[in-house]
Amino acid sequence: MAKDRLAGVLERYEAVIGLEIHTELTSLNSKMFCGCPVAFGGEPNTRVCPVCLGMPGALPVPNEAAVEATVLAGLALDCEIAPFSQFHRKQYFYPDMPKDYQISQYDLPFCGLGHLDIEVDGEGAKQRVDLDGGPYATRIGVTRIHLEEDTGKMVHVGGSEGRIAGADHSLVDFNRAGTPLMELVSEPDIRTPEEARRFAQKLRLIMLNLGVSDCSMEEGSMRVDGNVSIRLRGETELGTKTEIKNMNSFKALHDALAFEIVRQADVLDEGGRIVQETRHWDVTAKRTSALRSKEEAHDYRYFPEPDMVPFEFSAGWIDAIRARLPELPDARRERFMRDFGLSSADARTLSEDVEFAAFFEEAVALAGTPLAKPIANWMLGDFSAYLNAGTVALSDAKVTPAMLAELVQVIDAGTISGKQAKQVFTEMAETGDAPGAIIEIRGMKQVSDTGAIEAAVERVIIANPDEVASYRAGKTTLIGWFVGQVMREMRGQGNPSLVNEILVKKLG
Amino acid sequence: MSQKTDLAGLSARAIREGIAGKRFSAGDVVEATYAHIDVHEPGIHAFNELTPDLARAAAAHIDAKVAAGEELPPLAGVPAALKDNMNLVGTHTTCSSRILSDFKSPYDCTAVRRLLDAGALPIGKCNMDEFAFGSSTENSAFGVTHNPWDLSRVPGGSSGGSAAAVAARMVTVSLGSDTGGSIRQPGALTGTVAMKPTYGRVSRYGIVAFASSLDQIGPFSRSVEDAALVLNAISGHDDTDATSVREPVPDFTATLGDGVKGLRVGLVRDMLDLEGCAAEVREATEMSVRTLESLGAQVGEIDLPMSQHGLAAYYIIGPAEASSNLARFDGIRYGHRVSDPSDVVDLYMRSRAEGFGPETIRRIMLGTYALSAGYYDAYYGTAQKTRTLITREFDAAFEQFDVLVTPTSPTVAFKIGEKAEDPLSMYLSDVFTIPLNLAGLPGVSIPCAKSESTGLPIGVQIIGKHFDEATMLRVAAALEGALDLDMRPPAA
Amino acid sequence: MSISEADVRHVAMLARLALSDEQITRLQGELNSILGNIEKMQELDLEGVEPTSHSIPLRNATRPDVVRPGLSRDLALLNAPQAENGAFVIPRIVGAEEGA
Repeated sequence: MAKDRLAGVLERYEAVIGLEIHTELTSLNSKMFCGCPVAFGGEPNTRVCPVCLGMPGALPVPNEAAVEATVLAGLALDCEIAPFSQFHRKQYFYPDMPKDYQISQYDLPFCGLGHLDIEVDGEGAKQRVDLDGGPYATRIGVTRIHLEEDTGKMVHVGGSEGRIAGADHSLVDFNRAGTPLMELVSEPDIRTPEEARRFAQKLRLIMLNLGVSDCSMEEGSMRVDGNVSIRLRGETELGTKTEIKNMNSFKALHDALAFEIVRQADVLDEGGRIVQETRHWDVTAKRTSALRSKEEAHDYRYFPEPDMVPFEFSAGWIDAIRARLPELPDARRERFMRDFGLSSADARTLSEDVEFAAFFEEAVALAGTPLAKPIANWMLGDFSAYLNAGTVALSDAKVTPAMLAELVQVIDAGTISGKQAKQVFTEMAETGDAPGAIIEIRGMKQVSDTGAIEAAVERVIIANPDEVASYRAGKTTLIGWFVGQVMREMRGQGNPSLVNEILVKKLG
Repeated sequence: MSQKTDLAGLSARAIREGIAGKRFSAGDVVEATYAHIDVHEPGIHAFNELTPDLARAAAAHIDAKVAAGEELPPLAGVPAALKDNMNLVGTHTTCSSRILSDFKSPYDCTAVRRLLDAGALPIGKCNMDEFAFGSSTENSAFGVTHNPWDLSRVPGGSSGGSAAAVAARMVTVSLGSDTGGSIRQPGALTGTVAMKPTYGRVSRYGIVAFASSLDQIGPFSRSVEDAALVLNAISGHDDTDATSVREPVPDFTATLGDGVKGLRVGLVRDMLDLEGCAAEVREATEMSVRTLESLGAQVGEIDLPMSQHGLAAYYIIGPAEASSNLARFDGIRYGHRVSDPSDVVDLYMRSRAEGFGPETIRRIMLGTYALSAGYYDAYYGTAQKTRTLITREFDAAFEQFDVLVTPTSPTVAFKIGEKAEDPLSMYLSDVFTIPLNLAGLPGVSIPCAKSESTGLPIGVQIIGKHFDEATMLRVAAALEGALDLDMRPPAA
Repeated sequence: MSISEADVRHVAMLARLALSDEQITRLQGELNSILGNIEKMQELDLEGVEPTSHSIPLRNATRPDVVRPGLSRDLALLNAPQAENGAFVIPRIVGAEEGA
C-alpha cells in the first residue's frame, strides 16, 4: 500500500507540492455576475437568468460582496492587495460553461503574495524524515487569490457510474453556473501529504471563521487540486509535476498525494520519466489515473474582460475591509492561553470553531475567569462527547453558555459532587433544564453538615466491627470501602472529602 | 392620399401633440405606419420581422391614457423600429444570422425597454449585417436591404435596415448599434440623422454584443430634435451593465436652439485629404464648416494623424472581442444545431460553420488569431496602445475645440455587390467613424448635401467631447436649420 | 508575419469552426491581406504607452449582493435545441474527461 511505502520513498525523495483550492462563496446571496440565488442542488435550471445562461446580449456585473470577501480572505492570509486588478476572459469551449469562456483573473488578481502557518504533530509529523519526527510549525506561501465564476453541472446518461467515458449523452444544469468561486494558489512549499492536509484544513477553518463559505468538500463548495513532483534528496532542480484532481475529502487529499508520490518514485526507480498530465483520484480503487489528454494544447486566449472596468482599491477602502476581519483561530488560541491559562492543545481545539469559541467565551464571562479551565474541560470532555455521539450541532444543543456556567459554579461551591455533576449535565443536555432546577428536583444537594456525616459514620462503624478491626490492624486500604458505605448510608449526598476526613478521625 | 399616409412624415413631437390633441389616435398611427410599410417594404426590405401585435397593444395603452386624460410620455405613439440585435420579449432576435434564425428573446434590452416606456410603438425588427459585421447590410442571412434613395444601392451598415426604415418614412425613429460606424455611416448613406452617444451613456444590456468595449446604441431619426428625444429616453445608468456610467443626463432638447455663436469648431483637415475620400464629400464637409462659421462659430483646422491608425487598431480589437463574444453560439442552449452530431466537438464545429456567414467567420478567425498564444502582444497589445494614443490625440484636440467636424463616409451609397468581394475596401467605409469608437466619443451624422451627380445624400460627422452630446447636437441642429434640406427620398 | 495554412487550421479548431479546404485556403489569403494592412500600426512608437481597454475612466463597477428574479425554467429552455427533464441535452463528450 502506498501509505506504508510512503515513509521509505520519502527517505530517498523529497516531494514538492502546491495546492490550488477553489472555494465557493456560499454565504453570499447572489451569484458572481447576476442576481440569481446561490444555493446547492435543486431542480435543474431553476436558478438561472440571461446572464448565467450566457444568453445573447446579457452582461455580467460583479458582485460587490464577492470582491470584498476575496480581499478579506487575502488580508486574513497576509496577502498583498493589488492596487490595480482586473477580470480576464479564459476561453475554451465546454458544455458546462455557458459563454464558452470563464470570467476569471489572469495577471492582475485581487490578492498577491501571502502565507499561512501550519502546525504538524502526531504520526503525520514523521513524514518529514528530514526533521526529528516531533511536532513542528512551517510557513506555506500563498501565491495569489483570485475570483472567478463556477461552471454548471452535467449528468452523464448511459455510461457507468455517471462518468463521461461510455456515456450516451449528457444533461446540463446551469444552477451552479456563475456561483462566486475564489481560487487560492499556494507556493510549492508543501513537502508531505500531511502538510497538504493541514494546509487545506487550516484554510477551511479560516474561511469558516471569515464566514464566506460553508467549505463543504462533499458538496463541492471547497475543492482541492494538487500539483506534485518529486526529486532526489539534495537535488535542487524541480521534477516534472502532475496535477491531481477529484480529491473530495481531506483524507482523499492526503491519500491521493501519498499514492502519487510513491507512483512517481516507482516510475523513476524503474528508469522511466514522469509525464506532465492531469490525474484523477479514484477513491474506491485508491489510485490516481491519467485523464485522457486533449488533442490540442491549451490556448486560453486570455484578454481583459471588456464587459467590465478595472478595479483600483484605495488604501482607505482596504482598511475598511481590514476592519471587518474577525479574530482568527491562531490569535484566539493565543488569547485563550494567555487570558485563561489554557494548554496549547485545549486552546487550539476551543478556538478553531467560531461558534464553539463564542460559546466558551460567553460561559466564561458568566462564570468568571477563574472558572475558565473547568469550563474548557467540560466543553472538551462531556459536552463534545455528547455533541459527537448524537451528531448534534452546537446551535441545536439544549445546553446554553449560562447553564454550563451555572453547573461549573455549583461544583466550585461544593453544592454537588463531580459525580453528581455528570448526572446533572446528562439531564441538562437531554431536557434543557437549568442545573439548579435539576439539583432541586433530584434532591442532589451535597451534605456538608458534619453532624449528619458523623452520625452516618457512627452507624457504619457499629454495623461493621470486623472491618473496623481489620482497618485498625493496619489494612488501611479499607478506607475506600468505608467511604462507600457511608455514602450509601447518606444516599450519595455526603460531601466525599468531609466523609473521608471524619472516617479517618473516627477509625484512627 | 389619405390622412393616414400623411402621418408617416411627422416628427415625434408632432405625433405626440396630435395624439394629445385628439387629432388622431395612437391606433391611427399604427395603422398608417403598417399601410406605408406595405407600400415600400417590398422594394426596400428594411425589416426582418414586423410586430403589429406589440405595436397595437402599445398604441392601445397610449390611447387609454388619452381617454383617461393622463399626461403622455415624451415619445407617445411614435413608431419605432429596432435593429435585430436587440432583445424584446415577443420578438425574434436573429442578428440577421442563420445561427439565430429561430431565436425568441427571453428578456428585454434595457435601451429598448426605456424607449417603449417613453411611449414609442414597436413596429418591427430591422435587417442588418450579420452580427453587425459590415457596412452595407449585404452580409445578412435574410437578404440585402435597399437604399430608399436608389434601390440598386446599399443603405450602408451594419444598421442598414434601421436607417432605411427611417429614411423611407416607414417609422419615425429607430435604434441602431454602432461599433465602428454602424449607425453613422448608414445614416450618411440614407440621409438620416444618426447618432452614436458617448460610450457608457446608453446601457448595452440586451443588445447582442459585437465588441463590448466599442458597442453603443443610438438613434436614427429625420431631425436632430427627434434624435435628442430618443437619447433622452434611452440614456442613463443601468446596474445590469458594468460599463454604464452614472453621469447626469441633461434634457438634450433643451439647448438645441442655442446656436453656435462663440463655439469653437475644428475641421479635421488630414481626414479630408485621405485617399479615397470623394471630392464631393470633401466639399460638402468644408461647406458645412463654412455654414457654421457664418452662424457665428469660431472655425479652425486640426490634423489627427494618429486616427489614421484607427482602422488597423479597430480590425484587431473588434474581431478579438467579437471572436470571444460569439463563442456562446455553440448550439447547446439556443441557436442552430446540426441534426446528427457525433459528439460535442462535432456539434460545435459544424453548427457554427453552418450557422455563421462568411464575414462572421472571417472576423472570428481574425480575432481568434490575434488573441492566440504568441500573437497577443503583437496584435491585441499593440492595438490597445494605439487606442491610447488616439484617445490622447482627441483629448488634446478638445482643448482647442468644442466640437470636431469630419465627413461621415468617404463616399455616397455604393452599388449592391460593388464591394462585396473585397473586405478591405468595405472596411475603409468606416475610416472616419472608427476613431470615435476607439476613443469612446459621441458623434452624430446629419445630411449636409446631395450629390450633384447622383442626387444621393452626403453626411457630415460632428464629434463631441465625452458626455457632451448636448453641444454636439446643438451644432447639428444649427447646421440642420441653416441648410434646410429636403431629405425625402424617392422611395418614401 | 505571414499566416500559414496550418495556422489557419489551428485557429479554426480553437474557434470551433469546421471549415472546408476551400474556406481554409481563401481565409489564409484574406487574413494575410488584412493583417498586412495592419502592419503599419506595428511601426508606431508605443514604448511606455499604457494599453486602453476602455475609453472611459470608470473603476470598481459592481452591484450589491441582492437576489433578483431570473428566468422561469420554461423561458430558460425556450430556445433549447434539445431538452430533457428540465436540462439541456448534449451528445457524448469525447477527448476530455471531467472538465478542462
